[in-house]
Amino acid sequence: MTHGAGVVGQGAAAVLPEAGTDRWLLVGAPNVGKSALFGQLTGLYATVSNYPGTSVEVASGVRDQAGRAIRVADAPGLYSLLAVTEEERVARREVLGEGACTIIHVVDASHLDRALPLTLQLLATGKPLVLACNQMDEARSRGVAPDVGLLAERLGVPVVATVATTGEGIEALARAAAAAPAPADGWGLPQPFAAVAAAPADGDERSRLVAELALAGDPEFEEPVAALAPDRWRGAVAARDERWGGAEGFAVALATARRRMVLALLDGVVPAAAAPRRRRDAALDRVLLSPLTGLPIVLLVLYLGFYKFVGGVGAGTLVDWIERVVFDGWLTPPVAAAARAIVPWAPVQDLLVGPYGLFTLGVRYAVAIVLPIVCTFFLVFALLEDCGYLPRLALLLDRGLKRMGLSGRAVIPLVLGFGCNTMATLVARTLETRRERVIVTLLLALAIPCSAQLGVVLGILSVYPAAVAVWAGVLLAVFVFVGYIAARLLPGEPPSFFLELPPLRVPALRNVLVKTGTRVRWYFAEILPLFLLASVLLSVGDLTGALRGATHLLEPVVRFIGLPDGAAPAFLYGFFRRDFGAAGLYDLARAGVLGPAGLTTAAVTITLFVPCIAQFLMMRRERGLRMALTVLAVATGVAFSVGGLVGWLLRAVGGWA
Amino acid sequence: MKCTMCGTTAGCSGCPIASDFYLPETLAALDVGARATVRRLASSSGDLRRLLALGVLPGVELEVERRWPAVVVRMGYATVALDAALAEGVVVSRGV
Repeated sequence: MTHGAGVVGQGAAAVLPEAGTDRWLLVGAPNVGKSALFGQLTGLYATVSNYPGTSVEVASGVRDQAGRAIRVADAPGLYSLLAVTEEERVARREVLGEGACTIIHVVDASHLDRALPLTLQLLATGKPLVLACNQMDEARSRGVAPDVGLLAERLGVPVVATVATTGEGIEALARAAAAAPAPADGWGLPQPFAAVAAAPADGDERSRLVAELALAGDPEFEEPVAALAPDRWRGAVAARDERWGGAEGFAVALATARRRMVLALLDGVVPAAAAPRRRRDAALDRVLLSPLTGLPIVLLVLYLGFYKFVGGVGAGTLVDWIERVVFDGWLTPPVAAAARAIVPWAPVQDLLVGPYGLFTLGVRYAVAIVLPIVCTFFLVFALLEDCGYLPRLALLLDRGLKRMGLSGRAVIPLVLGFGCNTMATLVARTLETRRERVIVTLLLALAIPCSAQLGVVLGILSVYPAAVAVWAGVLLAVFVFVGYIAARLLPGEPPSFFLELPPLRVPALRNVLVKTGTRVRWYFAEILPLFLLASVLLSVGDLTGALRGATHLLEPVVRFIGLPDGAAPAFLYGFFRRDFGAAGLYDLARAGVLGPAGLTTAAVTITLFVPCIAQFLMMRRERGLRMALTVLAVATGVAFSVGGLVGWLLRAVGGWA
Repeated sequence: MKCTMCGTTAGCSGCPIASDFYLPETLAALDVGARATVRRLASSSGDLRRLLALGVLPGVELEVERRWPAVVVRMGYATVALDAALAEGVVVSRGV
């Protein structure tokens, strides 16, 4: 076993390489405080989550460990090397990767019996390993704190008690990781599994582990291992089938054997009896999870959190104040005057401070309209996430979502979509099957208004409460109908739902702020450049007359759904940002061109209409160009047909327009 | 898991051989408050991996907390939720 090369300060006399590698990999199940620990080790924040599956990518940072630059990576949640979800496969690729690294296995100190089977698998990689018993404070308060010294002795690797939220044990963990040696032999596969798995393997730890996963029926490894040594593979499969009756039997028997090893390891390390669940938690869950009380609570949370707080405080009070006072009052007049004074050329003045200018449109929309809404939305989302409500919501809505080819897990991307559809399209990666990911992508693009759009649409329609109701009702109907149809058209296995329910807890202010801040930063890093790009494109289009041409092309479609020609530009802006389109309607409403029926029709169509540029690019990245274009076509078709239908119905009912 | 009697991997529901002896109880059939020990997993390979990820393994003791809208069980210190289809693949015996 070789160790990392980047060790400094070694004299020529040094024969043995210094222990430890210059790359640390944080591995662990979701919801054990892994990302918080990553933050403590690197000073960077990965999104900390009390929901399995919001960290979808490998975050990485650098730590200065006594003069050594250590690259620290935070892998997505992993329960077992026998992976189920895409995030688990991402994490597993990191673990099984060829490069040298030190694995820091982060576990919940209260749940060692559930976590240590993975520790045993990780030890079998032969890589240096440190076990971080995190959330030690909770374990202590519940009386289930493990004896880390005894556990370290039995495992033969360093075991450190940590509390990521307070920083306890972080330095000790870093010192242990910096000096961690490769684990002692003997942590490979237990017998008799090892004998069978050794046959098709190449002799090193990694290939034995891969052979184990292949024999356990993992589709990612079966073929490569079989191709490597077909004869030996066939022999191993025959031996496996004879003894365990197939891949499933092998997987269960091996997991059971590991569990027995873990229970033996933990004998005397943790108190014999598990602490009973707190009465308060069980009672709260009964209220939150039974449909009779749980569903009204969902509606109440949506109403208070999103409608009142995001819609009222964020999109109402804050937007008004920033737009009217900060921009119209303080910022825009001096900036416009300065631009006209400094830049002599009118087209460039327009580009900066004209009607579609970088400052007047791009920056103003981003800061005055989008920022307050996005901040308040992500704040509410982080609160729900940190207190452990989201998994309960997933459980509660599972049956309903099953009818749409989804499982309760889809709740996370769908709810996040109300904040930012682009981010939600990325997070849809955590869903298990391609079918679920496609359906969620389609629903996000079509029927889930993002917060920027939501703010503007609600702002316009708020004068007519009936219009808000019609708009929301139509969106919900489209959501359910399209989901139902998509589930029938797309082939695939029915989704399955399984989830560990984290304990309910009072949200920690620091976690909530960190989560909100991380997401808002991500949003602006991804979105603000596009806001500015869109402003440039619109300015150029306005100058060259291309905008007018394109507007004329849209006019027949706009007339078809019963709207005046003046609404066409709003749809065109919608190509660039969904909320630009909605904001365009805002101007029409103020000018009195559109009545309530027209506004409702326009708002429905704009909401259903194509996703913004950022979301389109994300769809292409995550699901491929063909899928992105298909979604685009479906969204356009559905938007104008539903818009036309709603317009026709509203006119037929009459009394409104 | 493969049946040692007939070799099927489809589980025991509807099996005429098994019904002559006894009908193994599955997690899906347990009432709220029931305590049981997992005996074996009779699921397809995909479901099996999901159960293993949740830590539902032969020998594990559990208590049913809810049956609706999904099955919620307590295992040691952890609480896990699984849908009816997954719960049907978990063969249990009552008592711990």
